[in-house]
Amino acid sequence: MSEFSQSSKITDEELIAYLDGELEDAACRRIEQLLMTDPQIRRRLQELERCWELLDQLEPPPDDERLTRSTLEMVAVEAAREVEQSPPMWGKKAWFRLLLALFSLLLAGAVGFGLGWWAAPDPDRQLLEDLPLLENLDCYRQIDDFQFLKSLQERGLFQEDWPYEG
Amino acid sequence: MGPLVSKSSARRHAMVDPDVHLMLRVRDGDAEAFTELMRRYQSRVLLVLEHLVGDRDWAEDLAQEVFLRVYRARKTYTADAKFVTWLFTITNHVASNALRTKARRREVRLRPAANSSGSGRPLERLLQCSSGQIPARQLDKAEMRHIVRMALETLNERQRMAVLLNKFEGLSYADIAQIMQMTPQAVKSLLSRARLNLRQMLIPYLESGQSPELPADSSLEEPSEGTGNDSGGEGE
Repeated sequence: MSEFSQSSKITDEELIAYLDGELEDAACRRIEQLLMTDPQIRRRLQELERCWELLDQLEPPPDDERLTRSTLEMVAVEAAREVEQSPPMWGKKAWFRLLLALFSLLLAGAVGFGLGWWAAPDPDRQLLEDLPLLENLDCYRQIDDFQFLKSLQERGLFQEDWPYEG
Repeated sequence: MGPLVSKSSARRHAMVDPDVHLMLRVRDGDAEAFTELMRRYQSRVLLVLEHLVGDRDWAEDLAQEVFLRVYRARKTYTADAKFVTWLFTITNHVASNALRTKARRREVRLRPAANSSGSGRPLERLLQCSSGQIPARQLDKAEMRHIVRMALETLNERQRMAVLLNKFEGLSYADIAQIMQMTPQAVKSLLSRARLNLRQMLIPYLESGQSPELPADSSLEEPSEGTGNDSGGEGE
């Protein structure tokens, strides 16, 4: 089918690719050079161009609202079918979400408890620390002089191994 | 066959394509975006299908099938190429399947266009022209359109698809290659043969406004493309 111009050896395929803007610059320049000098190539190019332009007669169909609506209805039916077929999938998702929520709740509780324990003072701790004093409070009350008690402490009188201390 | 375009380059092109963004919205469940895509592409898909299958009603059914497939494929859509390339790849598959199914039913005769007058195969009608049953005279626009349509119908399915995508969608050889799963070089050969066939059919009209001289071996399935080329090996 493909014909060659005797004078230039240019193929129709090249000529068509040139019309389609699919040739590289060098090949385009070569063809343009030939077009200037070879009337046969010019004629072939014009014929191809004119035939191509004739296809413009095939106008696109006008927008068809009826078809659009009908297609959208089909898509809506498809979407509804998808929803119908998807309950197990949604069930799994719901379970996953529920478990995630429970886990988050537990985690939040644990973190809150930890923070509270760390930040809030423990009244028992203070009591334990003061236990030696409380146990001997009656004795200490017999001595009115605080300086005397302090000097006894400095001498190490109260430094017995107390089981509740550190 | 190697990759026709690199993935990164395809993705780059895709991200500047506004229709890709619309399709991504469809993927995320935006119904309005789907309607907008349909409005943009329905008549374009219909034009290609109508000239591929040769029948308006059938083309409408197939266009609906195309958009239904677009909707079904939304969740797996990735912006790897221009939207138009993706859409017409689907269109090409739908049309090819429909034509193959029709061929299996031994309905090899192409359906006449819904608004075409007369009956019989397009080529038979062209023969009527050449035998003088249709008066030789200047052709008006409707007749010209009819003749162009018949000339197009003399091309085989792959040639017609390539011509329609190139002419009406302005797609490059690389894009057409991607849609038709061929190499750009094969598309170049395919389009070249198609346009030479069209020239052979239409030049008589252009030059004299009279009936064409039909090529002796003109047929719906061009011998040189009936086997290997239809399987995608054209020009490779």
